[in-house]
Amino acid sequence: MLDIGGLAKRFGTRTALQDVTFSVRPGEVFGFVGSNGAGKTTTMRIVLGVLSADSGEVRWKGSAIDADVRRRIGYMPEERGLYPKMRVGEQLAYLARLHAVSAADAAAAVARWTERLGVAERVGDEVQKLSLGNQQRVQLCAALVHDPEILVLDEPFSGLDPSAVEVMSRVLRDKADEGVPVVFSSHQLDLVERLCDRVGIIADGRMVAVGTVAELRSGGGGVHGADHRPVVARLDVVGPPAGWADTVAGVRVVAAEGTHTRVELDGATDQDVLKAAVAAGPVHEFTPYRPPLTELYKDVVSR
Amino acid sequence: MTGLSPGQAVGLVARREFTTQVRSRSFAIGIVISLVIFGIYALIFQFIGSQSSSNTLGVTPAARPVVPALQQAATAVGRTLTITDVSAAEGAAQVQAGDLDALLDRNPGWTVTGRDAVGDELSSLVATVVRQTTLDQALQAAGQNPAAVAEQSRVAVSTLEPEDPERGQRLGLAIITAVLLFMSLIGYGSAVAQGVVEEKSSRVVELLLSTIKPLHLLAGKVLGLGAVGLLQLLILGAIGVVVGSVTGLLTAPTAAAGALVAAVVWYLLGFFLYASVYAAAGSMVSRQEELQSLVAPIMFPLLLPFIFAVSVLPGDPRNTLGTVLSFVPFFAPTLMPVRQALGVAAWWEVLIAAVLTLATIVGVVAVAARIYRNSVLRTGARVSWSEALRG
Repeated sequence: MLDIGGLAKRFGTRTALQDVTFSVRPGEVFGFVGSNGAGKTTTMRIVLGVLSADSGEVRWKGSAIDADVRRRIGYMPEERGLYPKMRVGEQLAYLARLHAVSAADAAAAVARWTERLGVAERVGDEVQKLSLGNQQRVQLCAALVHDPEILVLDEPFSGLDPSAVEVMSRVLRDKADEGVPVVFSSHQLDLVERLCDRVGIIADGRMVAVGTVAELRSGGGGVHGADHRPVVARLDVVGPPAGWADTVAGVRVVAAEGTHTRVELDGATDQDVLKAAVAAGPVHEFTPYRPPLTELYKDVVSR
Repeated sequence: MTGLSPGQAVGLVARREFTTQVRSRSFAIGIVISLVIFGIYALIFQFIGSQSSSNTLGVTPAARPVVPALQQAATAVGRTLTITDVSAAEGAAQVQAGDLDALLDRNPGWTVTGRDAVGDELSSLVATVVRQTTLDQALQAAGQNPAAVAEQSRVAVSTLEPEDPERGQRLGLAIITAVLLFMSLIGYGSAVAQGVVEEKSSRVVELLLSTIKPLHLLAGKVLGLGAVGLLQLLILGAIGVVVGSVTGLLTAPTAAAGALVAAVVWYLLGFFLYASVYAAAGSMVSRQEELQSLVAPIMFPLLLPFIFAVSVLPGDPRNTLGTVLSFVPFFAPTLMPVRQALGVAAWWEVLIAAVLTLATIVGVVAVAARIYRNSVLRTGARVSWSEALRG
C-alpha cells in the first residue's frame, strides 16, 4: 500500500499542501483531481522525492520511501521531460538503465513498450521530430520501461487523441491488474470516473474527499471528520407530463424536459414524490439520479 | 532488481554525455574550425612577417654609392631590400603611388622620403649605413683604417646560461598551448552550462532526479564532457605534432611532447575548476538566453591570462606579473603551461601552482554542487544567490 500521510509544504508565505493524506492500494487506479494550483503536482513531486515535504511522510509497504524504492516508481512529470535531441530508443534505454535495469532487459523493455504504445517505428528518430501526442506516448514508455512497482503520472492524458487515450487507459488498467498502485492526476473527470477505482479530490492544498465515486455520491469520502452533508438526493421521473412536480411540497424541480423531470428532495421523501408522480400520470421510469463526478466535484469543491 | 551504485550512476550519465557529444556534428565541426583557426593564425603570422621584413627603396643617382653597403647590411639582418634606380621626381611620384616604400636622395644632405611614414626598420637601416659610410670616408680622409676602427668598436654578445637552441620552437608551442587551453576550457566549460540548462529547460532533469542524486548527475556530466574536451585536445595536439614534424616546422619533438603533457594536465585541472562554476551558473537559469549574462563574467578570468600569455610572455618570459599570476588558481591553468613551454618554470613552481589549483577545485566543487542542488529543480525566474547558496 502506498500511504501518503499528513504532507505539508509551504513555498515562502504560500501554503501549498496542508495535511494531505490518502492511500493507494496495490491493483488500484487512483484518480487525483483538483483545480490548477490545488496541490496535485506538489504532492506527486514529494512522492518522487524531487521536492521535500515540510512535514508528513510517504510510505510504501509500511516503511518510509527511500531512494531504492523511488527508483522503482514510474513517473511522468507534469512538464514533460525528455532530451529533445536524443533518439527515442536510446533515450528510453538510458532512462531504464538509470533505474538499475540491465542493458539487455532495457533493450527488451524498450521494444515491448514502444510496440505497445504504438511508437515502435519511431525509436530511431529524435524526440523533437515526433508530434506532441507521440512524445507523450514516449513519455509514458519512459515511466514504464523499468517495470515499476508504483506508477505516479501527472496528467498523462492531457493532449492525447481519443485512440491514444484508449491505449493509455488500457495500459494503466493492465498495470493495476498486475498489482501496481496507479496514481494519476487529470482534469478529464469523465475519464477519471470511467477508469478509476477511487478518486481523491484536493482543493487549496487539502484533501476534501477520498473514496469511490459511489462513496462520494452517498456523501461518504469526507476526510478528517470534516462536516460533509450527504449529497442531496435527486430523482429522475419519466412519464407524467411536465409541471406535475411544481406543486409537490418539499421538492424542487431541477430540470424538466417533455415527460422527463428531475427533482431534488428538500424535505419530502422519495415515496412522496412517487405518489405525486403516479397521481399525475403513468410513470415509466423512477430512478435515483447518479450525478457524474463532474457534478460531485463541483459540489465538493464549492463547500 | 538491484540498486544502482553511485559509480554506476555517474558512469551512465558520463557515457551518455560523451557519446552524445562525440557523435554530434558540433564535435567534428569544432575540430575543423580549430584547425582552420590555427592555419589562419599561421598564415597571418607568416604574412605579417614577410611584409615587415621586405621593403622597396628608390635610390637617386646622387645616393647610388651607398647601394652595395645597403644590400649588405639588409642581408646581414635578414631583410629583403629591393632597390630601384630612379630620378628624384620619378621616385617621389612612385612613393606617392605606393610603388616604393621610400626614396633615398642626397641633395646635398641625405633624405629618406616616405608617403606618410617611413618604417622604423628601413629608416634605421638607411641611417646606419649612411652614417657608417660617411664615417669610413672621414676616417680614410684622416688616414685611419676603417676596418681597424670597426674591430676596436665591436661588441661581443654572450649569455651567462647557454642559449636555448629551441627558443623559437618553444615560443610557438607556448602560444599554441595557450590557444588550445583557452578554446578547450571555454568550449567545454560552456558545454557543461548549456547541458545543465538543456536538462532544465526540457524538464528531463525532474525525471532524472527521481532516480539519481543531483551530485551524481552533475559529476557524470562534468566527467563526460571533460573527456570529450580531452579527446579533442589530444586530437588537435596530435595533428599539430604530426603536421609540424612532416612539414619540418617542428624540430623539437621532446619540447612538443612536454608541452602536450603539460597542456593535458592543466586542461584537467582547469576544466574541473571552470566546469563546476559553469554548471552552477547553468543550474541557476531556466533558458539558454538567460545563460549568456551569467557566464560572461566567467570568461574574464580565462581571457585575461590568455591575452597575457600570447602577448606579453613570448617577448618577456620572466615578466614578474606573469610569474605571480601563474600561481593564482583561476589563472594558472593557462599561464603556467605557457611558462613551462617557454622553459622558465621550475618543476617546484609547477607543483605549487598545481596544488593550489587542486585545493581551490575542492572548495569550488563543494560550493558549485550546493548551488546546483538548490537550483536545478527550480524553474521560472533566475534563482537568487541567497537561495542558491543556502543549506
